[in-house]
Amino acid sequence: MINNLLAIKSVKKVYEGDIKALDEVSLEINPNEIVALLGSSGAGKSTLLKSIVGLVKLDEGEVLFKNTSVIGKNLKILRNSVATIYQNFNLVVRSSVIKNIMLGKVSKVSSWRILANIWPREIKLQAISLLTEVGLDSLDLHKRIENLSGGQQQRIGIARALIGSPEIILADEPVSNLDPQTAKEILSLLKEKSKENKISILCSLHQVELAKSFADRIIGMKDGRIVFNKLTKNLSEKDLNMIYKNKIDYYDK
Amino acid sequence: MINKNSKLDPPFSFKTLLILLLLFIMLFFSAQRVGVPDIFIRLYEASLDVVGIKDSSKIGKGLSRISQEMWPPVVESRKDINLILNFNENDLPFFSYTESFMEQSYEINPDTLLLEKIEEEVVFLVDPLGYLKTVIIKIIESIEIAFWASFLSIILSIPLAYYSARNYAPNRMIYYFCRSIVSALRAIPELISVLFMVLAFGFGPIAGIMALGLHSAGFLGKFFAEDIENADKGPQEALIALGVSKWKVLTVSVLPQVMPQYVAYILYILDRNLRMATVIGLVGGGGIGQELKGRFDLFEYGHVTTIILAIFVVVFIFDQLSAKLRTKLIGGN
Repeated sequence: MINNLLAIKSVKKVYEGDIKALDEVSLEINPNEIVALLGSSGAGKSTLLKSIVGLVKLDEGEVLFKNTSVIGKNLKILRNSVATIYQNFNLVVRSSVIKNIMLGKVSKVSSWRILANIWPREIKLQAISLLTEVGLDSLDLHKRIENLSGGQQQRIGIARALIGSPEIILADEPVSNLDPQTAKEILSLLKEKSKENKISILCSLHQVELAKSFADRIIGMKDGRIVFNKLTKNLSEKDLNMIYKNKIDYYDK
Repeated sequence: MINKNSKLDPPFSFKTLLILLLLFIMLFFSAQRVGVPDIFIRLYEASLDVVGIKDSSKIGKGLSRISQEMWPPVVESRKDINLILNFNENDLPFFSYTESFMEQSYEINPDTLLLEKIEEEVVFLVDPLGYLKTVIIKIIESIEIAFWASFLSIILSIPLAYYSARNYAPNRMIYYFCRSIVSALRAIPELISVLFMVLAFGFGPIAGIMALGLHSAGFLGKFFAEDIENADKGPQEALIALGVSKWKVLTVSVLPQVMPQYVAYILYILDRNLRMATVIGLVGGGGIGQELKGRFDLFEYGHVTTIILAIFVVVFIFDQLSAKLRTKLIGGN
């Protein structure tokens, strides 16, 4: 019996125009493990993350969550135990800070409450305490998202992910729209929360240095294939050269 | 590398010129068919008439009778006292007074077989602002029609919009079905549909409300659905990945995005319905239009002027109000 949290078994996805986004990709994620997906643009990282939560239909292969295949009813179970963080934050920009955080738990709120816009008190309190946890305690709760900086928005994205108390967080390039300093802060916040709450993270990244300091394990992808899958400490320069064509890419990304 | 031989597209080509020429020729023939030159000829004749070079013109003939009777607008109402039950000369209504004049008529005397002139005194009860009151009551009815029609259209368009948004319709069939309903509602002009509604509901405001409501439901349904389709996909994807049901995604992530546009659409529909509510009365939809049509057919052009001025004032006031409301609801960021 394998005790991994999430397993992906030889999945394939071909987009229109014969573009192979995923080609025989297999990987496992263990409980409390931070895994970084590394690769240049178009390597299939986003498609992989989307396919896990069923936003992209796979052509072949399957996704296993706690050793059960994620199809039909099980997809709902998986979706209730994952949270997602995005490159462009994907917050409701015209809504307030607190409402966006509470959206992470919207599936557990009854319909009439949503229609009447009356949220349960405990969810509100939880959202406020999470705001402090992600380092935004001085922020006005009713400020609109569109008036916040990128770093603040991503912190709210993290708070929205944490409020559902997930077992695994899927992050799709969470820091590529942020400046280097903010990127470091966001990733260390994510790492800290993951260790605190025992959450696994699968995170796609561009920057090698960030991935090295962030992840326990790094998976390199190129053209829809996994090139290497190694613990961070075993990673060598040769591996990185395999996913980035030349030195410029390496430092640039 | 930049290819040195590559050229930018020219701003226009021979083909564009050809198409323009073809369009021009088509316009020329179409203008002749529908009589566009007549506009200029008639206006030219009329201007000669005004200056005095020409004796008469078609426009002058057509408008001269009306234009003399249209001014001043009639605001008073007068009624023959013989038609008023229990008329008491010592207890007249507030601000009213009586006016009498001699009415002449001719009758054949059966004895002499000659026409004889008969003079008779007729007394009228005059209410100095009576007609204005009637117009105000009628125009309030029109405003009510507009509001109820807009309300009806909002109620109808919410489910229509949900099911005719491509990304929220449960399946293709329902999507096409709702889309076709929306198009059909929009395709039938109010002036036509009110004719059917009069057959179904009888003359009066209900026919107007139904006709306007159905037509504007078509508009709102289309606008609402297209905004739902074009809303930012990111937040919706994020919530779907968390296992949130479709309509909850719609309420919490799409509605906040599209709300400003929706307010703008609803205000537009209100504005439109207000203008149309004055017109549909012409064909039996109730409100001020019915009064307008009646007075026009009785050649009472002074009354017509009053009605037109009243409509103008109401539309103008509503324009100002809706502009203020719009900035308050949308501009306040």
